[in-house]
Amino acid sequence: MLYKKKWPLFLFLVPGLLFLLVFLYIPFVENIRNSFFDMASVVKMPGQEFDFIGLDNYKRLFTDPDMKVAVINTLKMMVLTVVFEVGIAFVLAVMVSQVKKLQQLFRTVYFFPVVISATAIGLMFKLFYNYNGGMLNQILEYFGKEPVLWLGTDTAFAMICIPTLWSYIGFYFVILLTGLSDIPDDIYEAAAIDGCGKFMQVFYITLPSLKPVFFTSVTLAVTGALKVFDLPWVLAPNGAPQGLTHFLGTYMYQTAYGLNNYDYASTQALLIVVLGVLVSKGVGLLTKEVE
Amino acid sequence: MKKKVLSVLLAGVMAVSMFAGCGGNANGTTGSAGTESGSNVASEEGKKEVTLKTVSMFGGTDPNAEVYQAINDELMAQYDYITIEDNSQSSDEEWKAAVNADFSVGNEPDVIQFFTDATADTIVATDKLVSIEEIRAEYPEYAKDTLDSALSAAANTDGVERAVPTTGYWEGLFCNKDLFDQYNLELPTDWDSLVTAIETFKANGIIPIACSLNNVPHYWIEFLMLYSAGTEEFTQIPTTAPQGWTEGLSLFKTLRDMGAFPADTDTVDDAYTGQLFRDKKAAMQLDGSWYSGNITDTDNTVVIAFPGVPNQKAEANALIGGISSGFYITRKAWEDPDKRDAAVKFVMAHTSQAGVQRYWEATGAVSQAAVEVTPVDGATPFAESIAAYTSSASAIVAPTDARIGDAYKTLVAQIVKVSTGAITAEDAINEALATMK
Repeated sequence: MLYKKKWPLFLFLVPGLLFLLVFLYIPFVENIRNSFFDMASVVKMPGQEFDFIGLDNYKRLFTDPDMKVAVINTLKMMVLTVVFEVGIAFVLAVMVSQVKKLQQLFRTVYFFPVVISATAIGLMFKLFYNYNGGMLNQILEYFGKEPVLWLGTDTAFAMICIPTLWSYIGFYFVILLTGLSDIPDDIYEAAAIDGCGKFMQVFYITLPSLKPVFFTSVTLAVTGALKVFDLPWVLAPNGAPQGLTHFLGTYMYQTAYGLNNYDYASTQALLIVVLGVLVSKGVGLLTKEVE
Repeated sequence: MKKKVLSVLLAGVMAVSMFAGCGGNANGTTGSAGTESGSNVASEEGKKEVTLKTVSMFGGTDPNAEVYQAINDELMAQYDYITIEDNSQSSDEEWKAAVNADFSVGNEPDVIQFFTDATADTIVATDKLVSIEEIRAEYPEYAKDTLDSALSAAANTDGVERAVPTTGYWEGLFCNKDLFDQYNLELPTDWDSLVTAIETFKANGIIPIACSLNNVPHYWIEFLMLYSAGTEEFTQIPTTAPQGWTEGLSLFKTLRDMGAFPADTDTVDDAYTGQLFRDKKAAMQLDGSWYSGNITDTDNTVVIAFPGVPNQKAEANALIGGISSGFYITRKAWEDPDKRDAAVKFVMAHTSQAGVQRYWEATGAVSQAAVEVTPVDGATPFAESIAAYTSSASAIVAPTDARIGDAYKTLVAQIVKVSTGAITAEDAINEALATMK
């Protein structure tokens, strides 16, 4: 026994627990309750009663075309985060781990976008994409080409995904690079003596040794995709153009604060939580099976 | 023992840190260190010190904010027993929700400058706002400078006059007259001349109408519906889509198909389209009196009446506008014998002839004032066009959101889809009306 008396531990644990209770769990339960009522305003005024509407909001989730777009886009984003964020981060991490000189510089350079606020990145890309005088169209015009509507219906989703994915590659890069540094050099040296080339070493040593770090990264990336909000909202608010770029987070925000439909937004919030739990459980089971 | 003391100390710090930042905030106009109302500290005049908690929409970059602040400072200088704790900010949805929350939990301010239309219905229902009639029973001079028509226009949706307004607003078509001259075009006066202008500008690489359908299509919604439906049908609160409303909103598709809006109207915001207009990249912009302050080229910009629509039912020169905000005294302040007088003084300072004149001038002397104002000398061609426009209005009609409240937001959210034909105007209106509580 490290500590004979337990009460000091509780003393430290209780404030944090209270904080979570007040600002997370009680609102969460209240949120579930709200989803069953027709909320005429965001708070119940004295003497005001909200009508009980049962499962109406939950039924609407299945018939709402914008919700369908939001769910599909979020699922697409999950796949893209795994492929591009974790994938590119892995390639970069492997390459940087092979570099002895300037490794610290690469670490800083690749990690840098993570520390820039998503709003700032969103505004920057907005300036790139602007139809009138945006950076990309200025380049096109310089070469005598017609300007392109970068955030048009066909391209908007891709244009939003690019900065969203790019801004977080550095996060997984650092996690994977740290994992790589934990793999003992002896294994690589032994493999090299046995005639295993650098490329094969990645497949037979790096990848299997990195499995736990990989799975953690995938779980973080997939659950992070559920929370995508700020960057798409800055680049294309209200699911612009024509509601085609909604994600669960942006659609929930628009429903709550754009349309003042708080009860339906509460239902969407619950869906995000349920999806988050299911997806992280799913990834957990999948990784267990692989292991 | 040392460890125990350290543990308790750390736990204490953690507990205290949880409440850091939860303290009250007295920003802006807080003057000397205030004490709460009811304290027994006497000022030089022998009056009890009073701290008034005030809230207004005159915040941020609003030109009214400076006047508001100055009047507050002057009031505190004149009555040294009054301290104003002000928490003003520009209005947005989060702010409105916070105001509702404050009224809900009994944390309402003593005086609030807020909307008077359907937006205020939630707080009006709490019966925490005092009527002008009740105040005048004790203070007959209350709101004496305010025009009766202005007080009546600022009545809440239940018909009771509670708010004392300062200035009103109008909406109209801003035109870059120099662009019209450049392409030998007359300023549009009806639908046909509007179509001619749109086609000519489009052909010459000028954006005909600066408007973000994804962000602020509000002004076009209002005028298209008003002119298509006529005043009577426009001002009703229907349960299903009226024909005039449907015809009006269907014109969004007509205009879009003509190329009237910017190519990126689905993604850009109102600030961006406003800049397009001011940079002379766009010829026309439908906007409100609050936009006037952004106009720098006052020699070549004019405001004119909405040109019209096909099969028009509204009279020419019908104008969207009115008065939609004012100062309220809450029952909390009214029933506090110390605060009552201070609250009345506060509202009278802001809504007196002198006060309103300052607000009116700060916003370019182009808005609708709630008192008789003294005209300013040296009006620009821009200001003259506004005066001509507002004085020739055949009817002044409040916008739809003043009547249908939050349902209007659902309607606004559907405009892009209406303009592309993804949904019909009738379905969009019906969907919005279905959300009315």
